[in-house]
Amino acid sequence: MKAEFINPFYQATINVFKLMLDIDVTRDQSKALQEMLGKKEVGVAIDVTGDLSGCILYRFSDTTILEMVKIMSGMEFDAIDSFVTSALGEVSNIISGNAVSSLFDQNYKCDIKPPRIIIEDEKPICLEGSQVLKIPLDTPIGKLQIHMTLKENVH
Amino acid sequence: MMWKEKYRLGVPKIDEQHEELFRRVSEFVLALRQKGQWEDKLPKVKETLEFMQSYVITHFDDEEAYQLSINYPGYEQHKEIHEQFKAEVGAYAEKFEQEGFAEDTVQQFAGKLLAWLINHVAASDQKIADYVRAQGEGN
Repeated sequence: MKAEFINPFYQATINVFKLMLDIDVTRDQSKALQEMLGKKEVGVAIDVTGDLSGCILYRFSDTTILEMVKIMSGMEFDAIDSFVTSALGEVSNIISGNAVSSLFDQNYKCDIKPPRIIIEDEKPICLEGSQVLKIPLDTPIGKLQIHMTLKENVH
Repeated sequence: MMWKEKYRLGVPKIDEQHEELFRRVSEFVLALRQKGQWEDKLPKVKETLEFMQSYVITHFDDEEAYQLSINYPGYEQHKEIHEQFKAEVGAYAEKFEQEGFAEDTVQQFAGKLLAWLINHVAASDQKIADYVRAQGEGN
């Protein structure tokens, strides 16, 4: 996968976390932890169509999600429910929308589909049978990952 | 309180409206998340939905008028974001009526509203302030 497809999603994640949550996101260098987000995790899958097609999956641990929603609302949350997953879906949607705008500036015209919430063991269909690029990220409120499968469509 | 001083654009009328939006959404979320019967929370749900549908239009109109007055180059794109938001609130309002204000759907709406409002004011609207500052520096 070309770096020019990856960077917009990475940069958009950094920017959105900074603007919305006042949280700094860095690359997680500890490779052993790449698959260890926590006991429970929630994914948000967003399909990309257009000049590029594929899927972006944002994976968050439950503790990270609850902390994100606490920062946004100023209230304590102790369970992953519809409110929490919807807020998380919108944050992922905003990141993807910003990334797609950056891709547009590089002459790739793409659209995104509404976010789909994936709880724990459900496998996101969009990633099956594809070569998946994984970006492990670290923040002061926990780890998250971006999984991507994007291919260029030849016109 | 979800409002932060860093959200201030420096345009008193718009800043007051943003503060009011945050205040109402904060109250809405607080009412939804407190313990108690769903039926008891419904008046606040309906009040917030009516407020969002009316006040948001006033606010968007004022914000767009301000953008035009300063020749903001992102006006068209910003207006499109406003239109999308109005359409989404309208779609939720329709769904609420059809489902009889089901709690799950209202909780979804509230979570999305919270994230949308923060991003819109903390990111999209700040671009207006950035433009005004850049214009001032250029003069």
